[in-house]
Amino acid sequence: MPETPEQPTVNQVAKLARIHLDEQQLTSSGEKLKQILEFVSQLEQVELPKDIEPFFGAIESVNAIREDNLQTSVPREKILDNAPESDGEFYLVPPVFRNTDS
Amino acid sequence: MEDTVLNPTSSPQSNNRRAVRFDDSQIIIGLEVHVQLDTDSKLFCGCSTRFGEAANSQTCVVCTGMPGALPVINERALELSIRAGLSLNCQIARSTKWDRKNYFYPDLPKGYQISQFDQPICGPGHLDIEPSEPTGQARRIRIERAHLEEDAGKSIHDESGRRQDSKIDLNRTGTPLLEIVTQPDIRTAAEAKAFLSELKLILNYIDVSDCNMQQGNLRCDANVNLHIPFGDEQIATPIVEIKNLNSFRAVERSITHEAQRQFEAWQENGLTIADAPKQTRGWNDHTQTTTLQREKEDSADYRYFPDPDLIAVKIEDSQIQQIESQLEQLPADLRKLLAEQYNLKSADASVIVSQGRGVVDYFLEVADGCEDSKIANNWIGQEVLRQLNESNQTIQQYPVSPQQFTDLLKLVIAGTLDQTRGKEVLNAMVAHCISPEEAIKQLGIKPVDNSELVTLCEKLIDENQDVVEQIQSGNGKAIGMLIGKARKMNPNANPGLVKAMLAKMIST
Repeated sequence: MPETPEQPTVNQVAKLARIHLDEQQLTSSGEKLKQILEFVSQLEQVELPKDIEPFFGAIESVNAIREDNLQTSVPREKILDNAPESDGEFYLVPPVFRNTDS
Repeated sequence: MEDTVLNPTSSPQSNNRRAVRFDDSQIIIGLEVHVQLDTDSKLFCGCSTRFGEAANSQTCVVCTGMPGALPVINERALELSIRAGLSLNCQIARSTKWDRKNYFYPDLPKGYQISQFDQPICGPGHLDIEPSEPTGQARRIRIERAHLEEDAGKSIHDESGRRQDSKIDLNRTGTPLLEIVTQPDIRTAAEAKAFLSELKLILNYIDVSDCNMQQGNLRCDANVNLHIPFGDEQIATPIVEIKNLNSFRAVERSITHEAQRQFEAWQENGLTIADAPKQTRGWNDHTQTTTLQREKEDSADYRYFPDPDLIAVKIEDSQIQQIESQLEQLPADLRKLLAEQYNLKSADASVIVSQGRGVVDYFLEVADGCEDSKIANNWIGQEVLRQLNESNQTIQQYPVSPQQFTDLLKLVIAGTLDQTRGKEVLNAMVAHCISPEEAIKQLGIKPVDNSELVTLCEKLIDENQDVVEQIQSGNGKAIGMLIGKARKMNPNANPGLVKAMLAKMIST
């Protein structure tokens, strides 16, 4: 059975997902993560033949491939309608600053 | 590390470090090169990859990552990757799959990049680079892998200092890239540049990418550290990945700068590869320095996992054989051909080959036609390349066909035209798009018969007694003045014949 993930791990996962969690949420998220890991780990109980190839998806077929042909893109007004903010040409996002300390 | 904390500059350890010379250390370099594949449409959708179109005019539900959109792999991107892999002597995977590399950045709309983690389309290979000196040996740089992935969009940051919003253009999102990763086999900044030049040339020859660096179609990151002999040990400095290398010059200069910076940092703080994580530093072309960007996130932080929207690609042997059979000769093969079968010096062969397949074909046709590869090389390597450079044309746009050029060189070889007149004829051919015969007629070039030549030389001697005396008193070079005057009196007089006749007349 998987162990409850340690707090630093939960912290790290939250950080990577850009989610802010307070102390209480960190604890409860750890519990929830444990439940998910337990659920998924049931798969480990299935006995498999030793020489079986790993399998990466639910479909066994391969090679869904398209030719290098152009298709009409979505008009800009329409695609930018989905943006929280735009100037009609670009998506606008809060300023991105780089670290410039050396 | 301890002495850095206590007293960084004057401990016995740091004094010992200061006794080590930079020249005794060895630079270790590995490159990651992103090449944009020359497809019409993007990697997983039918949007155009054209450069320079209006912002956000080339996107759709797939490349902007709308929920429920289904990516489908572009066949040509696979073919070009296999072609590149074969040209770099790589093993081609028989089964390859797609993985999500997860990170957040405003120009990555899905929150992940579709890439290849553990089953890249191209496995280990190598590329041999020409020695930097004629006496040197070719160097083999091992390729670790090459994998396909989609490009991100473009961010335009406000540089006014007023904290305006950043602007995002997603036209580039989903453009196919082949990321080629070398082993850390490169040992000097010049070698890194040579590797990139050869890689770019190969990818051009096999029509995989135009590698236009101004348009960002070839981008390079360099992983750099130093091995420093220190007492009985060999110290390795922390690895730094230098980003933003958009020109060969930037690659060369940034590596040189970074090696020196690492050496000085080690002398100062003694930190080794075991003490510090990999760093990312950006190259600043204005200040010619690298600056810290971030501590490198661990590979696990990208949380790679197989993309459930895409299925594996199986590549058949027959498919690989077919692509291999269509591959034309690579730059290295052509250099060898020009050196061994056309007797060119290796430097001359390199110049011709570096100009691209079109110039090589032009040379081969002219050299075969006039049956004198040295003259063909002199004229094409100098005159043609200079003219193309001045007019900013490609060989395909050059107004003189290989057949016309051959006809011209035959006249030069036969002595009908001397070098100078030959060049005048070539200039006229280029300027007016005419044949050598027409150019000769237009310039009024006519053969000069022997009696005309005798009259000319007698007149020269009569009118230039002072020069004749100089020649007779041993100044052989003075004859050049007479030849110059002869050309003015009759531009058709062959300088070689004039010289021979004058010498004979003056000595008797």
